[in-house]
Amino acid sequence: MTTESLGHADPADQLQQEALAGPTVTDPDEREREGPAPAGNRARVRLLDGPLAAPVLGRVVSMMLARADWPLDRLDAAMLMCDALSAHAFAHAGGASVTFNIDAGEHEAELRVLGLTDNGANGLVKDAMLPVVGNVIERIAERVSVEPGMHGEGPELVLALRARY
Amino acid sequence: MTPDMELALSARAENIAVVRYALGGLGEAFAVPEPKLSDIRLAVTEACANVVVHAYPDGHYGPMEVVASKDEEALTVLVRDWGRGIGPRPDSPGLGLGLSLIAALADSVQLGHDDIEHTEVRMTFLLGGSQTSTNTLPGTSTVPGTGALQSSGALQGTGSLPGPGGRLT
Repeated sequence: MTTESLGHADPADQLQQEALAGPTVTDPDEREREGPAPAGNRARVRLLDGPLAAPVLGRVVSMMLARADWPLDRLDAAMLMCDALSAHAFAHAGGASVTFNIDAGEHEAELRVLGLTDNGANGLVKDAMLPVVGNVIERIAERVSVEPGMHGEGPELVLALRARY
Repeated sequence: MTPDMELALSARAENIAVVRYALGGLGEAFAVPEPKLSDIRLAVTEACANVVVHAYPDGHYGPMEVVASKDEEALTVLVRDWGRGIGPRPDSPGLGLGLSLIAALADSVQLGHDDIEHTEVRMTFLLGGSQTSTNTLPGTSTVPGTGALQSSGALQGTGSLPGPGGRLT
């Protein structure tokens, strides 16, 4: 599987990037074996374009991270990222809905965005730019990458987060 | 019709809280009145609890899906699993009130399974306007605000399902 890196939060933070370079939180082969629903502290949310995206995605992600005992500052950062994703994902969706896969561990979490157009993942990241703040997604996620979708679907935006800086 | 929300989790007790929390977001987005949202949360919680407790053998955590669709008049919430279906269980660890409670809270309830053998509980909640039951079956007594418990063909004859005002057809 090829992975296109879109950058990470802080180029100087090489140690953190290397720490994440090991096995991904969700092994794609493992995902395939799991069948239709996630196991453990994982969830899949498919949302139709509309008012549901921000309130539902934020709640599900915060619940999963809180259950994994993440500190409040990282929860807050993750919420900010969810707001950015829900605000811009549908502009890059291949259809009417976008799917978010969340896999939250004690130290790391992975958020995958599925159902994007061919260039949607890159476009979504670029859209998350805020004046002064910079790119919200790249600042919060430790690793931002694009992976080919499974079963011939469009590419997946993969965001890796860490519980502590 | 593409649902507004599909939430897939493993059938673990702790995930029921995630479902409830997500429903809070749904209620906020759709401006569902709080009393109605409380009913929805309680009914969906009961349906999810049934999946967690009954759908899979002890120690197995299969999938649980919650699908919500809203139109102008109603919110429909579907809770489904890949388990062993709905049927009588003499050794049930619960009080056996789940389906009765769902029938009392929802405006209509359907039990059954879909084309690929998911066990489904489909609950419809009227939003705004009249909150009376949609139960219009001939010869069925209607209790305002009490849902009708219906079974799709696949579940007919699987045993009686108690319901204060709800009924299994």
